[in-house]
Amino acid sequence: MQTEERATTLEVDESEQLEGGARRDYMTINMGPQHPSTHGVLRLILTLDGETIVKAQPDIGYLHTGIEKTAEGKSYFKALVVTDRMDYLAPLANNLGYSLAVEKLLGIEVPERALYARVILAELQRIASHLVWLGTSALDLGAQSVFLYCFREREIILDIFELCSGVRMMTSYIMPGGLQADLPPGFEQRVRDFLALFPKRLREYHDLLTNNRLWVDRTKGICKLPAEDAVRLGCTGATLRGSGVAYDVRKAFPYGGYERFDFDIPVGANGDVYDRYLVRMLEMDQSLRIIQQALDGLPGGPWQVDDPKIVPPPKYMVSSNMEALIHHFKLYTEGYRPPAGEVYVRTESPKGELGFYMVSDGSARPYRMHVRAPSFANLQALPLMIQGAFVADVVAAIGSIDIVLGEVDR
Amino acid sequence: MAEGQTGPGTVALWPKNPHAEATVTLVRERFPDAISDVVEYRGETTIIVRAERIEEVCRALRDAPELRFNFLADITAVDWPEREPRYDVVYHLLSLETSAVIRLKLRVGDDETPNPEIATVTTVWPAANFFEREVFDLFGIRFSGHPNLTRILMPSDWVGHPLRKDYPLTGIALPEPHWGGQIPFDQPLPPGTGAQTLRTPDGVAEAPAPPNDADDTR
Repeated sequence: MQTEERATTLEVDESEQLEGGARRDYMTINMGPQHPSTHGVLRLILTLDGETIVKAQPDIGYLHTGIEKTAEGKSYFKALVVTDRMDYLAPLANNLGYSLAVEKLLGIEVPERALYARVILAELQRIASHLVWLGTSALDLGAQSVFLYCFREREIILDIFELCSGVRMMTSYIMPGGLQADLPPGFEQRVRDFLALFPKRLREYHDLLTNNRLWVDRTKGICKLPAEDAVRLGCTGATLRGSGVAYDVRKAFPYGGYERFDFDIPVGANGDVYDRYLVRMLEMDQSLRIIQQALDGLPGGPWQVDDPKIVPPPKYMVSSNMEALIHHFKLYTEGYRPPAGEVYVRTESPKGELGFYMVSDGSARPYRMHVRAPSFANLQALPLMIQGAFVADVVAAIGSIDIVLGEVDR
Repeated sequence: MAEGQTGPGTVALWPKNPHAEATVTLVRERFPDAISDVVEYRGETTIIVRAERIEEVCRALRDAPELRFNFLADITAVDWPEREPRYDVVYHLLSLETSAVIRLKLRVGDDETPNPEIATVTTVWPAANFFEREVFDLFGIRFSGHPNLTRILMPSDWVGHPLRKDYPLTGIALPEPHWGGQIPFDQPLPPGTGAQTLRTPDGVAEAPAPPNDADDTR
């Protein structure tokens, strides 16, 4: 195996002697899995004719951690934490998809306050994820200062998550049945401060990049993906919308209360790196609109379903109330048993359509949890995108489809 | 919540897709012998199709002018080892134009065919490429006509298919020296590396024969 790997690492496939002593070689080289601009451990096997890509083949699986198999061995209550680790730049979006799937299996609906809080958190998460994308993809193309600014704003969002859940990234804050805890005092003010601050900062990013000659030259008309190919190859999210297809799960199949909010779907026209960039930039504006509306309408009241078999009782009751103790014990040792059946729940994660296919056999553990990972499907379009492009543009293309390898490999 | 009991507002919460009836009718009319069952649960419609007809049914659904299922959202599988046929292969179809949604399911696999073979749908939607490779990798279901049916998530020399329910959860035999000591790069790995043993409370059980390495092209 290892010798085989070495043999395929660098190989001259075809070569022909041209006139005047020049030679023409097709060369196969590795890009990754430890390449800094593949955003993780993606390995691309590139066949090159000079600087031009003749063929590209993605090789994935370096981050395969068996999340679907792991979930089969855990109760529904505990399998939540593995979903955080898939798209580790948008854990709350994964939590939301998982929670909606389990709630659909159980046949329950969460209170209004949880619904609104989830929308606020999911949209904050979308902005945070897009900020990482913006920073890293600009860094890949040589715009180093954007990276630092993006992470400065992302830090504000992570502070809000820390305020809610005590954890910056792997929060597991959205859970089946509602939220882990009520939104803390000060949450609303922190989010409002962010809403007041962020549009100005977003303007700064636009100033830095959108009309920047260097940025436009590196992205406009580069690595085009025609709309029909994007659909045929199963792309979703900004990769699909950048090509001009207005498909957003939040509009097409509203879930979790999104039908109550007024927002638009930015759509590109050319399907190039620049359009995908603009779509995500404009999406952040729309997320701000949604957060504003959800924050204004945020009701009081319970933040979890009133069912001690699904959500744990408050800690203070466990030491004083016999029933609460029993519920606590049952939930943490065994968990709940949704009726046998299967559901597929699609949500719009920052990367695209995140689908959870859950099969219950009536026991306390998911019989099967399959994740339709948007990055996994979007990656299929990469070889087509970069065919005929220069090696330097591969970096732009990878940045523009915004893959997270934790989700590709699961 | 007791088993089988559903919460308040179940019906209103998960409305049926408006195109589900039309889809079922279309498949029933065009392929009366291919459809074996229609299941509904929580507003989601599943058509259970005979395995050998899947490609035709998919093509017809994609080309049906009033439905236009132009988008393959997902392919996956479920293993039911006690049941025969053993595997469910599940297709989630979507139309970006009409917002129609349908789930197709087929059942394959018995004792004689540990690696059942079904027709690929990459000819209908190229998106199926990665999804089918994933199902092949993790379940060992083969897709005839697939352009590049190789492992995608597991290493190419892996034995067995991890998402099968009978896949051992512990016990991979590691070479001597253990991974703590490096094996020189150009030396061959000792025989038996990667072979799976099942560690039980009574000690190491006999290594189960790799489920299907005879006809496994890896």
